[in-house]
Amino acid sequence: MASSDEEIKKTPETSGKLSSADITKLGLNSLFEQVAFSFERMQAPGWTMNMIPAFKKIYGEDDKKDLEEFMTYNMEFINTEPHMATVLQSIVISMEEQHQDRDLIKGVRNGLFGPLAGLGDSIFWFTVLPITAAISCSLASSGSILGPIIFILVYLAVGFSRIPFAHLGYNIGSKALTSIGENTKYLTKAAAILGTTVVGALIPSYVTVAFSDALVFGVDGSSTVQSVFNHILPSLLPLAVVFLIYALFKKKHANVFYIILGIILISILMSFLGWM
Amino acid sequence: MQITLVQGLLMLLVGFICSIDQQTEAFYWFRPMVASFFTGIVLGNAELGAECGAVAELAYLGMTNVGGTVPPDPLFAGIMTVVLAYTTGQTPEAALGLSYPFALLAQALGIMFKTVYSFVPHKLDGYAKEGNVKAFNGLIIGVTILESAVTAVVIFLCVYALQSPIQAFVNSFPVWVTHGFAIAGGVLPAVGLAMLLLTTLKSETYPYLFIGFILETILANIVTADGNAVFATVMPVAIIGTCLAAINYMYEKRIDQAIALAGSGSNGGDSDGI
Repeated sequence: MASSDEEIKKTPETSGKLSSADITKLGLNSLFEQVAFSFERMQAPGWTMNMIPAFKKIYGEDDKKDLEEFMTYNMEFINTEPHMATVLQSIVISMEEQHQDRDLIKGVRNGLFGPLAGLGDSIFWFTVLPITAAISCSLASSGSILGPIIFILVYLAVGFSRIPFAHLGYNIGSKALTSIGENTKYLTKAAAILGTTVVGALIPSYVTVAFSDALVFGVDGSSTVQSVFNHILPSLLPLAVVFLIYALFKKKHANVFYIILGIILISILMSFLGWM
Repeated sequence: MQITLVQGLLMLLVGFICSIDQQTEAFYWFRPMVASFFTGIVLGNAELGAECGAVAELAYLGMTNVGGTVPPDPLFAGIMTVVLAYTTGQTPEAALGLSYPFALLAQALGIMFKTVYSFVPHKLDGYAKEGNVKAFNGLIIGVTILESAVTAVVIFLCVYALQSPIQAFVNSFPVWVTHGFAIAGGVLPAVGLAMLLLTTLKSETYPYLFIGFILETILANIVTADGNAVFATVMPVAIIGTCLAAINYMYEKRIDQAIALAGSGSNGGDSDGI
């Protein structure tokens, strides 16, 4: 049964071709890739739903058997960064269009979503977001509505970048998977460098930790404690606080709930003592 | 100041839209910067929305959904920071500290949905086996709308229905408590930044953190004669960071290529010479 089915699948007459507009539509559909997220299968429902129209275009409306197979294997666990999901979805669709072996497609799907998540997270969460936030916050903190407007515009562009990402994945198909793998390493590193530099810059501009001018020392009480810190390095305290919290996360695996609660309680104590 | 019923209902709408976006992560309207701005517009004070958005956005910078986790909720933090600043007259920093219980409430709500929705894939498996696209899509869209609707109603309750008790509660605090929340608001961005560093900071990226830190410390202190900052945003540091990243990208690639070449060459040499 398998061989005769295979035969039919591979004949060009039965295989629909996707147009450029279909790929654009796939990119737009993938804006909803993360709907119905649950801890068990994570993004699988939205991931599957997005690709059905393109799949039907390839196999036709009547091919129930292939559709069932397609929906079933795509309902397996998947979790990746949403923009990278778009790339991976169009790779899967491109391989379906070429009637590649489903085990190979599954292997590509399951093998790539993890590495792509790492790449996507380092680009979108750890580079684009801090930079966009930094620029829009520096405008918005003085009450300028230009800040949020810039943020919204940047993220409209980022959201619709799924369209070029879909075309990218489709053109890559199954061919250049190795080259994605190779470049992931360098791109992830480059994104981490940019992200870290910007985070370094955000510390002095946005973390405010300073002792009150009322907190003085010395026999005549002429020097404020804060002036000592300022002489060592301006913004030393914000830097120290970031590293302290970082260490609590990293070494003690502290829960963010307790960190924030601790900050609030210590701040109130500092305020009560009149030290800050 | 009081929030009117019309404003409360508009917040229901804002909450619904932003919650859909939070589930999809499509346009980042669930981020405090945008949620605060929309809330500010509804309350007729867009500038306050922008100010609160800046404070809350930085505090929640590292609170990401990376790896399928649910952090304290940035959407509720964004909305409630503006609402609390508006209704109680607190500074944005103090309002951010006060908004934390609401962010935790919404986090619990989010975790609840993502746990309860574990039944959804099993239903979907059944529809997939039948190739029933209509039921498949219908269930997905249904649960998405349900989650957003519940979130929107909770936002409405927090913003409108409970405003008087919340206001009375906050106003009963002595000054040192509210000042304490303001201090906490200034420190909270450190949590966001530290969480970002958890993923980006490695031995090879440490130098870049200090390059960024020192550069910004210097740039921020360059002021014109009338005391305005010359570099008002971190854009210059971002550009330098991009250059550093590009240089690293090119060199690492080249070094690896050179190693690959040298490796193949020296293998030949070894077998010949020794």
